[in-house]
Amino acid sequence: MLSDITIGQYYKADSFVHRLDARSKIILTTLFLVIIFMCKNFLSLALMFVLLVVSVLACKVPVKMFLKSVKPIIPIVIFTAVINVIYATGGTELVSFWKISITTKGLATAFFMAVRIICLIISSSILTYTTVPTALTDGIEKLFSPLKVLHVDVHTLAMMMTLALRFIPTLIEEINRITNAQKARGADFESGKLLERVKAMIPILIPLFVSAFNRAYELAFAMSCRCYRGGEGRTRMKQPKMRVGDYMMLLLFAVIIAGVILLNHFFGKIV
Amino acid sequence: MSVTVLETKDLTYIYSKGTNYELAAIRDINLSIEKGELVGIIGHTGSGKSTLIQHFNGILKATSGTVLLDGTDIWQDKSKIRNVRFKVGVCFQYPEYQLFEETVYKDIAFGPKNMGLDEKEIDRKVRQVCEFVGLDESYFEKSPFDLSGGEKRRVAIAGIMAMEPEVLVLDEPCAGLDPKGRNVILDLICEYRKKTGSTVLVVSHSMEDISKIATKILVMNDSKLAFYDTVENVFAKSDELIEMGLNIPEITKLFLKLKKAGYDVRTDIYTLEQAEKELLALAGRGKKNAQ
Ligand SMILES: Nc1ncnc2c1ncn2[C@@H]1O[C@H](COP(=O)(O)OP(=O)(O)OP(=O)(O)O)[C@@H](O)[C@H]1O
Ligand SMILES: [Mg+2]
Repeated sequence: MLSDITIGQYYKADSFVHRLDARSKIILTTLFLVIIFMCKNFLSLALMFVLLVVSVLACKVPVKMFLKSVKPIIPIVIFTAVINVIYATGGTELVSFWKISITTKGLATAFFMAVRIICLIISSSILTYTTVPTALTDGIEKLFSPLKVLHVDVHTLAMMMTLALRFIPTLIEEINRITNAQKARGADFESGKLLERVKAMIPILIPLFVSAFNRAYELAFAMSCRCYRGGEGRTRMKQPKMRVGDYMMLLLFAVIIAGVILLNHFFGKIV
Repeated sequence: MSVTVLETKDLTYIYSKGTNYELAAIRDINLSIEKGELVGIIGHTGSGKSTLIQHFNGILKATSGTVLLDGTDIWQDKSKIRNVRFKVGVCFQYPEYQLFEETVYKDIAFGPKNMGLDEKEIDRKVRQVCEFVGLDESYFEKSPFDLSGGEKRRVAIAGIMAMEPEVLVLDEPCAGLDPKGRNVILDLICEYRKKTGSTVLVVSHSMEDISKIATKILVMNDSKLAFYDTVENVFAKSDELIEMGLNIPEITKLFLKLKKAGYDVRTDIYTLEQAEKELLALAGRGKKNAQ
């Protein structure tokens, strides 16, 4: 249920991937997502898949954790696949009934979409499992810092993201606590019509908002007590640093992009 | 002959079962609590007290084992679990966060309303319980969010008492209150039991508080049931209690020290009266020996 949510969850381990700089991991993940959508035939897709499997193994996070993060989106994958099978046109027709015809092209598109979505989830899981949330937002802040020229307050945005990530587990715990307390007073969340069920949420939502606002006030107060005044002139205790490994990985990805483009070019496009 | 209200058989609960974070919070708990008792539940932090009491009204479902209320398994009919919650009223640790209504009156009426009672009956119950916990009519229309911490606590407890449960369970009702606020709550609990004759279970960290009000003490240690016995019998095992990292009342400590110093005294003393009696007896014996 709620406790199965794995967004922003960090899995402690000592691996090469964990040690990479957050910035390079963000760039690599983004590149990976772009390349996976560039793949046009099975060979290039297979290449990306191998890369993904190697990365999963390299980060020393149990494979079970990845399956757990994929599980909730399986219905979406199936849904997209079915839609693709039905609506794609072209290719040789295999079977047709009623108004639907299933074609080779349709099946290929569906397969590609399914693999892409799953790769998307797994690759972003690699990023969140191996990077502590603070390092992640620090990385985002650094990467987007050129936007300061356009008067975008990158630091504040990053800080807001850090806090949001930080409070997801806290709020989930809070929801459980409140739900239990109201259940103990006989609140009924399981039966009744839709409207009644929505109404039944009020005893949970009001205390949740009250406590979230209280937390926000307290946090703001605690931050100003420690002289927080935004990002200007702020220095860091731990300076993130790009190391040899980071540059090697970026180089490797550049090679792989070239590989995918070549494979696409020489082995034909299926989708 | 006493009647058993609440019984547990081999109760075990494991958090996050099937993951790396698996943790048995309670293990093989066998208990039977008699009607009308006031049970003090103590144990060090993380010993499983809160986990245990959440089984009594079916908030948690045991990984294995059963909870019997008046002799029937509370999970026998899953759809009737709400009725169990009206019979076993559980007030959680820091219950203030459960307040949500616009007014104190409406908030206290939430439980009775869920029981499906009619307006008149609800009104009777709310007024009765408010008078009982010392919230006069001027509080009825106030917002629960505008009250002080101690008042909020009283409203939250009243919200559970208003359901008039057979078994009232309170998790750390005195946590975070000043000595006066604590005494108010402790007195309330005693009163409630006297007036309604219900069984009351109170979780607390303070031996001092528990020894003042309880008829029996349940000691949890490392997710297991260590003792469930009368107050004297539990304090007679003071050494073991200290070993478990529990604090025993100052008076009991004094008598333990006397015993260690070679005086022949009882060590299950926990009230001032008992202490006086024992000391006088000791003085008497001392005179006899001297003669
Ligand atoms: N929701 C949960 N998920 C996982 N583990 C939990 C959860 N709630 C409690 N635990 C663990 O179960 C054990 C028992 O917790 P419990 O809350 O029952 O202790 P307690 O005796 O009430 O402690 P305290 O005196 O601090 O309230 C603890 O080790 C705790 O970390
Ligand atoms: Mg507790």
